[in-house]
This record gives sequence, C-alpha cells and structure tokens, in this order.
Amino acid sequence: MAKKSLDEMTNPAVKGSSSSNKSFPNPFNVKTPVGAEGWEELYPYYYLLSPERREMEEGKFWFFDGVHNPEPLYPFDTIMTENWWVAASQMASRVWPIPVAMGIDQRLINGYIYVSPNGVTDPEQIAKRQEHFTRRAGHYFENWDEIYSEWAEKAKDCIGRLDKIKFQPLPDIEPEENVFSHRGIYSSHDLLSSYNRLIENMLEMGSYHFEMLNLGYGAYLTFREFCQQAFPGITDPTITQMVCGIDNLLLRPDDEVRRLATAAMELKVADVVLKYEQPDEMLAAMATAKGGGLWLEKFEAAKEPWFRFSTGVGYTHTDPVWIDDLRLPLMAMRNYIELLQRGEDISRPLASLLKKRDKVTKEYRALLPTDQDREAFDGLLGLTCKVFPYVEDHNFFVEHWHHSNFWSKVRELADVFVAHNFFDDREDLFFLHRHEIYDALYDLLTGWATGSQARGEVYWRPIVQRRRGVRDALAKWTPPPALGTPPSVITEPITIMLWGITEETVEEWLGVNPSADGDILRGVPAASGKATGLARIVKDSEDLYQIQDSEILICRIVAPSWAPVFSRIAAAVSDVGGIMAHSAIISREYGLPSVVGTGFATANIQTGDLVEVDGDAGTVRVLERAPG
Amino acid sequence: MTDLPFIIWLDHEFAPGNPLLGGKFSNLAKMLAAGFSVPPGFGVSTAAYHHFMDQAGLEAEAASLLAAGHSMASADIKSKASDMVARIMSQPLPSDLETAIRRDYALLEERVGQKDVPVAVRSSGELEDLTGASFAGQYDTYLWIFGADSVLHHIRMCWASMFGDAALSYRGVVEDAGSRQDVGICAGIQQMVEARAAGVMFTLDPLNGDPSKVAIEACWGLGEGVVKGDIAPSHFTIDKVTFEVIKRQIVSQLKEYAFDTKTGAVGLIPLAAECQDNACISDKEAVNLAKLGKHIEQCQSASQDIEWAIDQQGDTKVLQVRPETVWSQRERSGLVSDVKSPVDHVLLRLSGVRVAKPPSEGGQP
Repeated sequence: MAKKSLDEMTNPAVKGSSSSNKSFPNPFNVKTPVGAEGWEELYPYYYLLSPERREMEEGKFWFFDGVHNPEPLYPFDTIMTENWWVAASQMASRVWPIPVAMGIDQRLINGYIYVSPNGVTDPEQIAKRQEHFTRRAGHYFENWDEIYSEWAEKAKDCIGRLDKIKFQPLPDIEPEENVFSHRGIYSSHDLLSSYNRLIENMLEMGSYHFEMLNLGYGAYLTFREFCQQAFPGITDPTITQMVCGIDNLLLRPDDEVRRLATAAMELKVADVVLKYEQPDEMLAAMATAKGGGLWLEKFEAAKEPWFRFSTGVGYTHTDPVWIDDLRLPLMAMRNYIELLQRGEDISRPLASLLKKRDKVTKEYRALLPTDQDREAFDGLLGLTCKVFPYVEDHNFFVEHWHHSNFWSKVRELADVFVAHNFFDDREDLFFLHRHEIYDALYDLLTGWATGSQARGEVYWRPIVQRRRGVRDALAKWTPPPALGTPPSVITEPITIMLWGITEETVEEWLGVNPSADGDILRGVPAASGKATGLARIVKDSEDLYQIQDSEILICRIVAPSWAPVFSRIAAAVSDVGGIMAHSAIISREYGLPSVVGTGFATANIQTGDLVEVDGDAGTVRVLERAPG
Repeated sequence: MTDLPFIIWLDHEFAPGNPLLGGKFSNLAKMLAAGFSVPPGFGVSTAAYHHFMDQAGLEAEAASLLAAGHSMASADIKSKASDMVARIMSQPLPSDLETAIRRDYALLEERVGQKDVPVAVRSSGELEDLTGASFAGQYDTYLWIFGADSVLHHIRMCWASMFGDAALSYRGVVEDAGSRQDVGICAGIQQMVEARAAGVMFTLDPLNGDPSKVAIEACWGLGEGVVKGDIAPSHFTIDKVTFEVIKRQIVSQLKEYAFDTKTGAVGLIPLAAECQDNACISDKEAVNLAKLGKHIEQCQSASQDIEWAIDQQGDTKVLQVRPETVWSQRERSGLVSDVKSPVDHVLLRLSGVRVAKPPSEGGQP
C-alpha cells in the first residue's frame, strides 16, 4: 500500500467536537517541571512531539496511559511501550485489519506516555477492510482453542530461548575452545549477538502478546454492549462475573502461597515462617528445622514459574518480582498461616462462586424479551467465555513470566558494563535507551579489542547522573489525564476495554480541574461494595510494606501481584484503569470494593485522609483531611 | 344479598383474591397468605356497600350515575352526584351492618392491644384489577382514623368517593367501565403503620421498562407525599438479579407527612433537622425492599407496583400491591433483528455495527 493512500484513509478515531468549547490543555503548552530541563534527551526523537507536525499533534486527543506506565519512563524501559506501539497497533491496522480502527499512536510528554487511537471513518475503506477482516478474524474465532494452545507453546518456547541467553564479562584472553573449534567468531561477537537476540526475543514475545488480544477484547466488548442495551445500568462487575473464569493463571501464585501455608501447618514448621520477617533468615532457619527440608522442596517447586510474578504491571524494570524479593509472598503466607491457626478456611470458595455465576447468568437470560435475544445472548456469552481464558492468562505468560525473566537478563547484561567500568551500579543501565546500549556495547568491544580505554568508561557516568536528576524531577509532576482536542465519539475497542476511556470519561475529565481540592472523585466502579477508612498512598511497591490493616489503598494503578495485601486493606482506588485492566480483574476476584480510573486520586488524597469508597457508584469521597 | 359477608378479615381463608374485597384488599390478603408482612385489618365488603345502598334506596340512581359518568359530568350530573354524596353521608346505616363494623373494630383493638387503635381507611374498588387500569389515586384513603364513630364516618366517605368528579371521569376513559353499573366498593380498615419512611416501588425500571431493575421512591414519614407527588422522593435503583444499588439519588426533605398532635390528624409537619439531608432508608433497607419486590413479583407472576412502609421499629410492611400497568401491557420488542452467529455479531461490531438496536426511549408507552 502506498504511503499516501494510507494517510488518506487514516482519520483520528476520535474526532474533535465542535459543540463543546471546553478543551484539554494544548500538548505544546505543557510546562517542563523545574529541574527536568532537557528531559527530551532521555528518549528517541520519534517519541517526542514535533513542531513540524504541530497541526496533527494538536488536533489529536491524547490520554495518559497510567494503566501500564504510571511513572515517567526510564529510557531503557521504552522497549515495552515501543513494542506495543507497533505490535498492538499493527494487529488492528494491517493484520486483521479491524475495519474501524487503525493503531494507537504514542508520545512522551515530560517522560509520561500519552496515547491516541487512530480510527477509520471512510465507509468505503471500512468495507474494503471488512472483507479481509471477516476471513482472517473468523478463522481465529472458529479455531480459537487450538490456536490458543499453539500460542501457549510458542510463548513457552520463547521464554525457554530467553533463559538460554547468557551475558558475561569479556575474557582477558579468548578461551582456547573458541580457537580450536575454528568458529572464527569470538566472545565479542557472542556478546553483541546475545544483546541482539535479547532485544529480538523481547519484541517476539511482544508480538505474541497481541496476536489474539484485540479479538478477545472485541468478543467481550460485543457481549458487554449487548447486556448494556438489554439492561441499561447493568454494572461491569456483573457482566464480568458472567464471563470470568473463576480460575485463571493470575490467581495461581497466590494459590501456591495458600498451599505453602497449609503445608507449613501440616509439616509443623508454621512457627518458622511466622518468626522471621526477613526472607533469608526464615529460609536459613527452615533448612535446619525438623520437616523444614520437605517444606523447602515444596517451596522451590512452587517458585517455578509461579513466583515469576511481578509486583507491578511488568512493564517497568523497577517492579520487584516475587522470586527476587520474597517479602511480599512471605507476608501473605504469614497472613494465611494466622488465619489457619484461628481455624479459618483459606481456600477460595470455587463451588459457591460457580453457583453464583450460573444463577446470575440464568436470571438475566430469563429477563430478555425474545427467544431470538436469548439465542444471541447464549452465543455471545459462549464465545466470550471461550476467548476469556486467553484474555486473562496471557498476562501471566507475557508480563509476569517472560518480562520478569527479561528484566533479570537485562541486569545480567548490566553487570557486564559494571565489570568493564562503564557504570558503578547495574541499575544505571536503565538510563540508556536500548539503541544507546548497542552503541555502548560496541564502544566496550573496541576498548576490549584494542586495549585502549573505552570512551564509555568516562562518557556515561555524568550522563546517567544528570538523567537520574531529570527523571526524579519528572516523577514529582502529576500528568493531566488528557491533552489536545476532546473527542466526540470513541470507537476503538481496546481504548474502551483496556483504558476505560468512554465519551462519559472524557466529559468527566473535562469537568474536573486537576488543581482543585475536590472532595469527591468519580471513576469506574470496578468491584462492588462500600468501605470507609484511612487512605494510604502507594506510589511504588516499597510503600506496600507501610500498609496498616483496614486502610484504603490509593495508587496510580493496582498491580495484580499486590493481591497478598488485599486481605489487609478495606478498598482499592486507582488513578487509571478500565474494567479489563489487569488489576480490575483481580480486584473483583478478591471481592474488594474498588474504583479505578479516578484520574486524580493520588494527587487529591493524602495518606491519613479519611475516605469513603463506593464500588457501586464509582465514587471516592474525602470525609476528613489528615491534620497538617 | 345478606348471604354474603359484610366483613372479611385479611387473614380469613377466603380473603385472598375475593372480589368482595375489591382489587386492593383482595391482593393484600393474597400477600398476607403468602407470608408477607401486612398490617392487620378487615374489609367492609362490597356486599356491605350494596346492602347500605339498597336500604337507603340509592341503588338505581347510583347505577344511572355510573353509567352516565363516562360521558363526562355535565352540570346536571355534577349536581346529581353531589346530591348522591350528601345522601350517602347522611342516610342511616342498617343496624346489622353498623353492629358488625363496631364489633370488628373492637376486635382489632383487642388484637393489637390498643384502645382506639388508629387505622387507615382505604377504598378498594372492584374495577381495579378487572380492567388493567390502576385507578391510582381515584378513590380516597383516610389515614390515622380512630374510634368506631370516626371509622364509620370514613367508611361512608370511601363509598361516596366513587361519585367524586375525578372517579366518575376516570371511569369514562377506562374501556368497559361504563358497562359495569352495579360496581361496588370495599372499605379496608387496617392498623395504621407509624412510618419512619415509606414510598412506592416498581419491579421494573419505569423509565424504560427494563425488568432487571427494581425502582424505589422513598421519603421520610408516611408515604402519602410520594403517592400524591407533593414530596420529592429519594430514588434508588436496585439490580434485581445481583441486588447491587445501581443508582442512589438522595433528595433533601424539609417536611414529612405524620400524625400532627396539634390538629389530631395527618398533616405535613417539619422534619427533624438531622433527617433532612440524610437518606430515609439505608442501602441495606433498599436492597431488602428490592428483594421483597422481587418475591412479590414472583408470587403474582407479573411486574408489580407496591406501596410499602418501614415502621419505627424498622419492620417493613406491605401496604398495597397492584400490577404495573404501563410496561406490562406493551410487548417488549426484541434486541436483535437478524439471527446471526456470535462470530458474525463480533465481526460486525468491530466493523462498527452494534448487535442490538438502541435502547427504547422513555416516555409515552
């Protein structure tokens, strides 16, 4: 397809509304926070707003994607967002293609990611795309289960190849076997190609990530709209309840923790788990305790792969993974043991959940007006239930298992740079973009090959230091939820499903002044129930350890792996997120009142404020401000 | 005529569905029989009404008035009707009937353990259920009546209310009503509920006919304000399947309908300040009402319009039950127009075509 025709067929999915004179801030007028001057150097040129395309950039509706990246991006971590920029977009625009949707564009503004869906509005183009789409998507839907089992194999294979990639410092003298095997290529080439394979492996998994996702969301969206038309006001938790598997891979890590708690009771080593808060001390004591060896065997078995579980969304290197930081699963385990010691049942009530789901489904079905409607309901529900295991489980394969291992490999590479005196700390690597890493790696090879000091040894340290300061300044800034021209209609399915952006959301944002000290915030009701308690602002997973019983968790986004603290908190509130956001799924499973997508909760609420969360109405009310 | 009972207690085995009790009261008897909490009482039957009219020599004229009513009241008919009302109020009650009513009011006093027990005297018309028309608010209800003399007086007022302007002309717009000239009316006597909060509920969403919702309107005090419309009620919409509170709109209220000790009658009196801006029922009470509504609907096998009250002890009472008359009589149109495979539905949706037609607009049925 010629480029020109592409541009002609692409319109913003969201068109500016002329009737409303309200508008979001112009993206070009966003001020750089003090201390963050020159932030643009952290990112590649193509990620920044360009004055050369000013009219196009201003005319689009940009919303902040805090669902996946609540914090300003580290330069290296853009590999994740850059991946879906292409991988998710191409599925809609070129692969299926989805008749009404092109891809989702991205820009970094003050280091935060803003996205903008492109749509197709020309009826002729929609019709042309529909021909391809019907055949291709139809094939996937008809063969869904087989394709999903192939998918799981591909995903595991990709993870297996990732695990085999090794990084080590270059040797002083090339090992003899590399000479006598007549390979003709040496450690330098191995290091460079390992890096390339690492990046390609990430982008390969990133492509699998979106192979079936749009279609899965599409089926769910269709069923959801049908229910909403039949029963106006039906809540999303109710619709999801009809569709959700009561068991999915995201719940497995927590299930393993429950099992280990039970095993600790049976093997009479529960006291060892309870006694030590520090994981290392506990494991050391366990090794010498009677019955401890058997428990440790079970513990080790459960870790692979279930502790490859990120405490964040998996999209940033800073989210600790259970397997590297055992405090979170062990804290949960202590909770479970205490419950068991009080004689409580800690198993999830699967049978009663199933019974409830079937009852709800049956009653709604009976309320539909005609037999034809019931037939459509049955069909759509059946299809949605079929696609849903993928929609839920891909998250474990991709973001948790693969990406956790990816970050760990990147740190292995960082150790090579530390060994070659480029950085003082392995974490410094993340202040370089992946393309800069390639340069730095080549720089390192030249130093090794020639025996001269590589320039990198004196070049990167001041840059890393400056970038760290810039990023710290950016992190203090609160990104507005939207910029640019407000849309009047939103058609792009993923925008609706994943980010919870609807025409109502936009209206709501337009009516809110982010700097106002509002005492009531509105968001998406993600899980029903009502709770009142003291707020605890959690900005990173380290803050999780500060949480006191019955507090209300207020965060940019709830990460699924925070589940272990759910038994202690009264409710969860997030700035961002839609009903399909990874976190919303888990909140519902735990029956925690939850409001997501409030826009400004972390900015307007302080730790210690008394707040009331209404998970049915989707409101968060500040009842009393904390003193001072 | 005297074979038919003048008085039927709500808990009598022949009360449920008995036409002698009129629509409202025979339905309430059904509710009581089904185990719902209904204030105790009895109906002064349509047979009692006919007995009085017969003894007073008013039957023939009543029939001609009811027949003419549907042609809308001319000045002549108006004067005849007001003459009829005056005679109903003044003609002596047959002594057997008066004795029976006094005896059973005393029995009610005994049953609830209160001398001069306050009661509601409600008109329960025979046509209420027969025609599918609600007759809502056309016949009078008198609250907080106490003492046998006053009860007797208000029973006459119920009878007379059949000949009020509004009731006569409402008959005119209800099909077939005009052909029923022998129609009678029952006067229901029930212990008064000292309502902390009260109101009405529909077992569907009255705005769009959605049968998956229970819509509740509630106010502080007696429910008269909600029924009459002179108190803006708070609204609750409850999901009938999951019992989630989907909508909650609390309206502040300055006055309530309650028994006014100064006037000795029910009137609008100032509401306690601490109540004015607060919800008159809790979410839990709203959900319990919805459960009650759903249960009643299942018993009646049709959508219902229910009056309820919550007394000072927090007990919920059913005051009136009748079929919902607007949406129930419309055929619900289907959502999908073409039979398609689910995959085709999804493919079309992602091509920009929705599965279902837009939801029906509220307003005129």
